[in-house]
Amino acid sequence: MNLLVLGLNHKSAPVEVREQLAFSPSKVTEALELLRKRFPSCEAVILSTCNRVELYACSPDDSLNEEAVMDFLSAFHGTETDKFREHMYCYSGPELVRHLFHVSSSLDSMVVGESQIVSQVKEAYIAATSCEVTGKIMHQLFQQALAVAKAVHSNSRIAQGKVSISSVAVEFAEKIFQDFSDKTVFVIGAGEMAELVLKSLVEQGTRTVMVSNRSYDRAVNLAKEFGGRAVRFDDLASEIARADIVISSTAAPHYVLHPNHIKEAMLQRKGNPMFLIDIAVPRDINPEVGRLDNVYLYNIDDLQSVVSQNVDDRAKEMETCTVMVEKEVERFMHWLEEMKIGPTIANLREHFHAVGREELNRLRTKLGDVNDTQWQEVVYTMERTLNKLLHEPAKVGKQEAKNGSGHRYVETVKRLFGLHHTDRANLSISPRHDSNHKTELPSNPS
Amino acid sequence: MSTATNLEVLYNPFIIVTLLYLLSSIWEVGRLTRPDRYSKLWAERLPIAAFLLHTVFLILLATRAGNVPITNLYEALILLSWCVVGVFTTVEYIYNVPSVGAFLFPIVTVLSICALYMKGNSLVAPPTLSKFWLIAHIVPLFMGYAAFTLTFVFSIMYLTQQRQLKHKTFGPVFHGLPSLERLDAMMWRALSFGFPLLTLGLVLGAFWMKYSNALGPQWYLDSKVVMGLVTWLFYAALLHLRVGVSMHGNKVAGLTIAAFILVLFTFLGTFFLGAQHGYLDASKEDSRLIIREFESKR
Repeated sequence: MNLLVLGLNHKSAPVEVREQLAFSPSKVTEALELLRKRFPSCEAVILSTCNRVELYACSPDDSLNEEAVMDFLSAFHGTETDKFREHMYCYSGPELVRHLFHVSSSLDSMVVGESQIVSQVKEAYIAATSCEVTGKIMHQLFQQALAVAKAVHSNSRIAQGKVSISSVAVEFAEKIFQDFSDKTVFVIGAGEMAELVLKSLVEQGTRTVMVSNRSYDRAVNLAKEFGGRAVRFDDLASEIARADIVISSTAAPHYVLHPNHIKEAMLQRKGNPMFLIDIAVPRDINPEVGRLDNVYLYNIDDLQSVVSQNVDDRAKEMETCTVMVEKEVERFMHWLEEMKIGPTIANLREHFHAVGREELNRLRTKLGDVNDTQWQEVVYTMERTLNKLLHEPAKVGKQEAKNGSGHRYVETVKRLFGLHHTDRANLSISPRHDSNHKTELPSNPS
Repeated sequence: MSTATNLEVLYNPFIIVTLLYLLSSIWEVGRLTRPDRYSKLWAERLPIAAFLLHTVFLILLATRAGNVPITNLYEALILLSWCVVGVFTTVEYIYNVPSVGAFLFPIVTVLSICALYMKGNSLVAPPTLSKFWLIAHIVPLFMGYAAFTLTFVFSIMYLTQQRQLKHKTFGPVFHGLPSLERLDAMMWRALSFGFPLLTLGLVLGAFWMKYSNALGPQWYLDSKVVMGLVTWLFYAALLHLRVGVSMHGNKVAGLTIAAFILVLFTFLGTFFLGAQHGYLDASKEDSRLIIREFESKR
């Protein structure tokens, strides 16, 4: 059995390469169908997001190996393998499992801890399942990957803390105000960042928007976009008291809002808090404003430092998460080893019972006249003996699989009991196997 | 006033309730500061277990005394802490404000420990007091006190959150605390629930004293009565600020905290100043005579 992943991500490849190999949802289905036709006994999952393209493949023989996957990708996308070969990574065994678990838990993401990747992995798995290119191995692998992601997110702080300026601003707003539907946002200066923050606030439920800009036309345009009202720049001071949240991002070289503006406004607001976000450089709001009671003033550096802090915190949580993932990798590898020894133990059982049946048939003809109840006893004794003999090897097998040496166990058992011929029943039996078989036989009573 | 000695404190079965409140505090604070280390299940179960046991204990106390369990300071504190947890549980059920327990249960724990130490206190309510008037006076007052405890907790939470937002230093409790607006609204709700109860308790108490002689003819000069009035005036002023002037924000929160300290002083502090407010000092001979006389008549 050959399990491998071939892929590239934001760390290994520039966007020009990634976009060449990216699959749209319909292309994923198409590719999976094609894979199924070409490699009928193989399992495959394609994970394609804006930051990564990965193909997970599992073949019982070595048909779907690294080269085959590489060729498939190049043929499917019509690009030469040389163009992306150097950006590709290829993992198998525990490295593959670790990689997938890191990906699904978003430890491998550009923004660590983001939640989107879990659903992307889930979609990739569902797409593969509906194309019927998944089997026992992929089911176990991906279901465990999704479970790991869930466990990591709920048992660590990897997904805590916002990591963009606008989401941090909204988070602060949420700690000041409960209900946004009756709040007024006042935007001063129509910059791109201000628009981003405004958009997030409107998503939170803010209905009343006021916009003021040096150029009145731009103010009108932005106000129209959000169903708000434009305010002339000269009326700023008189209108500011209505605002619960102020977003300021003018290009003015000096302060636009002064303490006396806000002091006046706060008297009218009777202690109702005001949240001011100054994302302009140079700053628009005199920092003295922040000293006023019930006024919360944040400038771009304040927001940025929270963002960096959160990014650092997430990075610190990586270690805890890696430990969690490692345990799960081990668990999957045990399962895989057990999968490998399963058929061998079944073969061994079958082998023992075949020998038993053979001997019983011989005994039956030799004994001639035996009554049925007595014969049943004989058959029962034989089966009991065989099962008792088989109990220990099966137990040891599971233990060995747990210790990761299932492969050695399989080889040993096959050699000891000459099981190779049952493995390749359809192939021609080599003379060596025959002689092996003969040397085993004398241990049976003859 | 003598209080319980260390060993007596340990032999009191109420110590189990106190310990449960202590564990509740630890878990609630743990949930707020390190949510990944403290299980939600225990943070929910411990307070319920503590409150149920507390209720059973209170019923036992009441049946044994045959009265509202307020015949001495020990019982009074157990009743008060029960009211606080009761009002909190109701508010929690209706409004579901996060993290209140982390601030409230430490207070309840301290109240419970105070109760344990008050076990041997010699001040007892004279058995001659009218049961009806006692209930009419005490129940609204204690419910009011419980509501004020909540306003205090909400104010503390408000100022904690306000401080973090103002100084841009975000501690571990930042994420767990609700928004300022919510806390401000809850403060107001608890206040508008507590004030009518305080008023009712005081008015009924005044009526009672006018028609009985428990505090003597100059009952209105009793320091607890005076302090009660001062507290009432303070809360009335606070309400005026909120409703009349519609003040919000940190100053109101600060005043609410001051008001609660006044409540604490009215409730406990006056005893330390020597006022007995209807209680008799059982360690004194004349008080014992009154009690014995009543017992023999019964």
